[in-house]
Amino acid sequence: MGSTAIPPISTRGTGDVLKSNKLVDNKDARHVKTYEVALKDKDFVEGPWSQNNLDNGAGLLIPVPMPLGGVIIIGEETIVYCSATAFKAIPIRPSITRAYGRVDADGSRYLLSDNAGLLHLLVITHERERVTGLKIEHLGETSVASTISYLDNAVVYVGSSYGDSQLIKLNLQPDAKGSYVEVLERYVNLGPIVDFCIVDLERQGQGQVVTCSGAYKDGSLRIVRNGIGINEQASVELQGIKGLWSLRSSTNDPYDTFLVVSFISETRILAMNMDDELEETEIEGFDAQAQTLFCHNAMHDQLIQVTANSVRLVSSTSWELLDQWNASSGFSVNVATANASQILLATGGGHLVYIEIGNGKLVQAKHIQMEYEISCLDINPMGENSHYSSLAAVGMWTDISVRIFSLPSLELLTKENLGGEIIPRSVLLCKFEGVSYLLCALGDGHLFNFLLNKSSGELSDRKKLSNSLAIAKEGELSIGTIDDIQKLHIRTIPLGEHARRICHQEQSRTFAICSLKNCQTITEETEMHFVRLLDDQTFEFISTYALDTYECGCSIISCSFSDDNNVYYCVGTAYVLPEENEPTKGRILVFIVEDGKLQLIAEKETKGAVYSLNAFNGKLLAAINQKIQLYKWMLREDGSRELQSECGHHGHILALYVQTRGDFIVVGDLMKSISLLLYKHEEGAIEERARDYNANWMTAVEILDDDIYLGAENNFNLFTVRRNSDAATDEERGRLEVIGEYHLGEFVNRFRHGSLVMCLPDSEAGHIPTVIFGTVNGVIGVIASLPHDQYLFLEKLQSNLVKVIKGVGGLSHEQWRSFNNEKKMVDSRNFLDGDLIESFLDLSRSRMEEISKGMGVSVEELCKRVEELTRLH
Amino acid sequence: MWKAVKDREAGFLLPSSFATRIRSHRVASLDLSNHKEIVSPHNGAINSLQVDLTEERYLLSGSSDGSAAVYDIQHATDYERGLIAKHKSLFVVDKQHNHGHRYAISTAVWYPVDTGLFITGSFDHYIKVWDTNTTQVVMDFKMPGKVYRTAMSSIATTHMLIAAGSTDVQVRLCDIASGAFTHTLSGHRDGVMSLEWSTSSEWILVTGGCDGAIRFWDIRRAGCFRVLDQARSQLGRRPLAESTSKKGSVTGQSSSAKSMVSQRRIPLGNETKQLRALHKSQHLPRGPVVQRLHPGLSSTHNRAVAHYGAVTGLRATGDGMYLLSSGSDSRLRLWDVDSGYNTLVNFEAMRLQPTKALQLAVTQDSSLVFVPCLSTVKAYDVQSGMTFRTFCGHYELVNCCCLSSQDQELYTGSNDRQILVWSPASPVIAEVEEGKGGWVSVADQDNWSD
Repeated sequence: MGSTAIPPISTRGTGDVLKSNKLVDNKDARHVKTYEVALKDKDFVEGPWSQNNLDNGAGLLIPVPMPLGGVIIIGEETIVYCSATAFKAIPIRPSITRAYGRVDADGSRYLLSDNAGLLHLLVITHERERVTGLKIEHLGETSVASTISYLDNAVVYVGSSYGDSQLIKLNLQPDAKGSYVEVLERYVNLGPIVDFCIVDLERQGQGQVVTCSGAYKDGSLRIVRNGIGINEQASVELQGIKGLWSLRSSTNDPYDTFLVVSFISETRILAMNMDDELEETEIEGFDAQAQTLFCHNAMHDQLIQVTANSVRLVSSTSWELLDQWNASSGFSVNVATANASQILLATGGGHLVYIEIGNGKLVQAKHIQMEYEISCLDINPMGENSHYSSLAAVGMWTDISVRIFSLPSLELLTKENLGGEIIPRSVLLCKFEGVSYLLCALGDGHLFNFLLNKSSGELSDRKKLSNSLAIAKEGELSIGTIDDIQKLHIRTIPLGEHARRICHQEQSRTFAICSLKNCQTITEETEMHFVRLLDDQTFEFISTYALDTYECGCSIISCSFSDDNNVYYCVGTAYVLPEENEPTKGRILVFIVEDGKLQLIAEKETKGAVYSLNAFNGKLLAAINQKIQLYKWMLREDGSRELQSECGHHGHILALYVQTRGDFIVVGDLMKSISLLLYKHEEGAIEERARDYNANWMTAVEILDDDIYLGAENNFNLFTVRRNSDAATDEERGRLEVIGEYHLGEFVNRFRHGSLVMCLPDSEAGHIPTVIFGTVNGVIGVIASLPHDQYLFLEKLQSNLVKVIKGVGGLSHEQWRSFNNEKKMVDSRNFLDGDLIESFLDLSRSRMEEISKGMGVSVEELCKRVEELTRLH
Repeated sequence: MWKAVKDREAGFLLPSSFATRIRSHRVASLDLSNHKEIVSPHNGAINSLQVDLTEERYLLSGSSDGSAAVYDIQHATDYERGLIAKHKSLFVVDKQHNHGHRYAISTAVWYPVDTGLFITGSFDHYIKVWDTNTTQVVMDFKMPGKVYRTAMSSIATTHMLIAAGSTDVQVRLCDIASGAFTHTLSGHRDGVMSLEWSTSSEWILVTGGCDGAIRFWDIRRAGCFRVLDQARSQLGRRPLAESTSKKGSVTGQSSSAKSMVSQRRIPLGNETKQLRALHKSQHLPRGPVVQRLHPGLSSTHNRAVAHYGAVTGLRATGDGMYLLSSGSDSRLRLWDVDSGYNTLVNFEAMRLQPTKALQLAVTQDSSLVFVPCLSTVKAYDVQSGMTFRTFCGHYELVNCCCLSSQDQELYTGSNDRQILVWSPASPVIAEVEEGKGGWVSVADQDNWSD
């Protein structure tokens, strides 16, 4: 049973009487009754008709506009049209209809979508105003719809809360699979973010968020990172592209004709044919069975292909192999570059090889060995001779430097240490307005530029452009800061099932998820729960552990135990028996990843659902129903391991969310806010230290620092509490003092420490700790703990901004951000609205000046401070 | 709950519905607490219980021995055998106190804004305002008779008035800000046993007298503006509130439910007809008409009664839509506040104490009402009137019950001098971890068999 949405029925009659329908569920039977709303009396009057004993799953009413009038009642097994004069019913395949959309203004056709995302068309057949029957037709599959809006010309918007929203076209003829639905566009929706983790898969110091998003069949993992959005103009479906070069068929040809696409183990060539279409072709002299590292047009109508093993010189007219240089065995080529007459390449072991290109010949002119591996190279010609460079730039691993060599002697001219830990990823010798520069881009998106003395190779006037991006076009190069074009880059890994918990294991380079699959049988809908292991690069399932019938995965962590070097995945589960309100049995499963497989090492039965797991002092801390329980990892006599309970703590209603720091345990309770527990090593006991006595229904907690804890609650608010360890009385020490309150307007499911931006040791932003949160609506947000003076400054700015920027519809910002629950409404405090503050940068100059005057701070200074803030995310 | 938590995080279940569902599940599972006890320091009947309105952390009790006490219900003072939390009083003010009441305390209420003050009313004619931290009397009001009830508005932002009912016919409003009586409300023909401020307007006060009348007062205007009449009903017009269909927790009573429905269907048609006829002749006794009657009220209205005998208890639902009243006629009535109609919900047979003020409690979602019925407390479904639960535990007459909406715990006070805690079923004792707790349950069982 559940409550039922009651849409108002068409207005009929005198205008002051509205009709309202209602499903009354009394035990299993469902009925429809009509009421008239007597506006004058502000009361209901029994309406003209009612219908008893409908489909037991009847849960959706669709009002049919005049002149037909009446209502469509959607059940799980039947659809009924009902009005004062007519009653028509048709059976349907058992399904739960989630959304409907009206197609025609006269209300004779409706689109229906069920929770498997199947789209149906329901037609009311009628002769004039007399309804003669109902017809239903299957159209195809879309995302699981929450709303359906018929736009026009058979184009429909399918809004989804559990997957990507779609713009679809309904075709007159079915496609090969019998579907009338054609997806025109998808709109990314991350919601509901049930869980997420922050990982640095590329090990560049930049965090990526991997979310458990979507539900039902639209469940997916989404990899979110700061990146650059590019509008796609045309695409070829190719997986795993590693490199891309364009080639001309002859040196003097004005246009490129070939596109060389390199994959991990092959190289393919696409050529533009007579119809200006891309078509796959072959160049005989090229090695098609290897990944191409570099490709270039060379003098004398020749082409260069560099692979890991060789350099091939190919005629661009006959496509024959003219000459080949082979890398010495054991040292494959790592990076290579070339211009029209020269090739510079680096092989493993720090070997730098210089090759000159002759007519049909490759000549190894020089070879030196460096102390470290080489990360990038450039020999772009800058002199008068556009085919020949006298300088080479080389970026190094390990000592993080760039070096300038002279060519062809490969003599070291200059070495410049860049500092930091981020390696140079790309170097470029170039010339702006007749002045030579060396540009060097780091893995984190920073760019160095140096003035280059062409003859001596000296570098001077070092500049670091933070967060900048260089875009090279023909004959020009523009440098912009990333802020202007920064965008979140989202990659989707569809799972086809609902992932609920995720964690990453650095050592095995895997993710583990707890997921569930809805299985619809004819009689009932069942859920199957799994623990799945995914490769952290390919995101493929590499191992699966199926949980028992009725068993659900509730929590997962990757951890290790004291006296044991292995790293394990620990999974907490619950047995959700249909007859039980609260699970009374669960398990903690300990897995190890061996050969890419999940191996169950130990299991421990618990007396309830394991809502949360934490690694705690080399032990395992579990939240089981109302209890916090600590387990130690014991070695049995036979050498196997087991979890043994050490101590516990009662006194919660449901301990749903737990975070730990040192010996402290912070518990977010179902309805009793945050409490702080302490583990006492000597006594081997956990005891309560302090508690927030407000009645907050928690949805997530996180520890910001030793004394301050962050919580999110059921009414979309955030708050922070502080431990008063120095207070005078026991009473005060036992109380977590609320110090910050804020209305976020989003339901937070998870907090995690981390950041989406590069953590740079030298930037100011690097010292500001941030927490990322994920919400049901698919919002990813950042909470930063600002230093006090910066907070005061920005608070002042915010209060000035509120005066200038008016909310939509004149709604008050202050009121919107007020902490607001069933019991109280108080002004927000100790929280700032970053979105509002950053909107300063979008203001017109005159309004900026207005604020600057109010603040007594220059516009430039304000911009600088706000930009600092924007760099936190 | 596990499923609700899972559905909430995926967005299938709205957070507000989640809270409502969990609360009603918990209230439905209330039973004598197996892990929490309040140690009553009183040597007389417990007449009044209230949990503070700010944190819902402190319970205030008033007793016939002239004492009042405060307990921390969130934080136990000690644990019996490590498991049963004992909540001893933080302090007691009794007859020995310099300014203590000389006779029974009939009412003890918290100052709604914070826990720094509380108010006691006694049969010694005094109302005293206490400073919680110093346990000193900061103010007192001398009433013309024994004080039955005091009440403060939980939503008031512009006044600090204590409404007080006593053996005197007049209701007085005592102003904490000035220390003086600001209003004297005349209308009742006998003492006033029960008082309730409206939960939707800070200016509306409802009083129930020993004369059987329930009067509504707007304290900004002179006189009473409404007298509830048990004979005026509006049955059948308004569909029963959705809450009946929402409560998934009310199960296992299908047979009684059906019989209830059929019982109520029969009079439904007739009454509706009568009512419509009534409407035509009277041109709706609402809106401007009511305004015109106020303050004088026509004499027929003025003599209307809500109960035969005294009105012993009043409780407004949290949404301010309904008022529940108990009377010495052993009836519980549900009133539609907006229209002033008796909803004629038939609360199943009960016997109520006829001579004492009773303190009723209503759940936050207004679905259940808790009523002291002699030595038991009964929970009734507000909309259907069916008995939902009967709580047996006290040995003598129960006077008051108080529901903590934060913890969904029920506290009841009785003539047997005990304060009992009824809490949602918790498997704490049943769930005994291996090793450490094993013997405790054995010891516990032994105690029971003794």
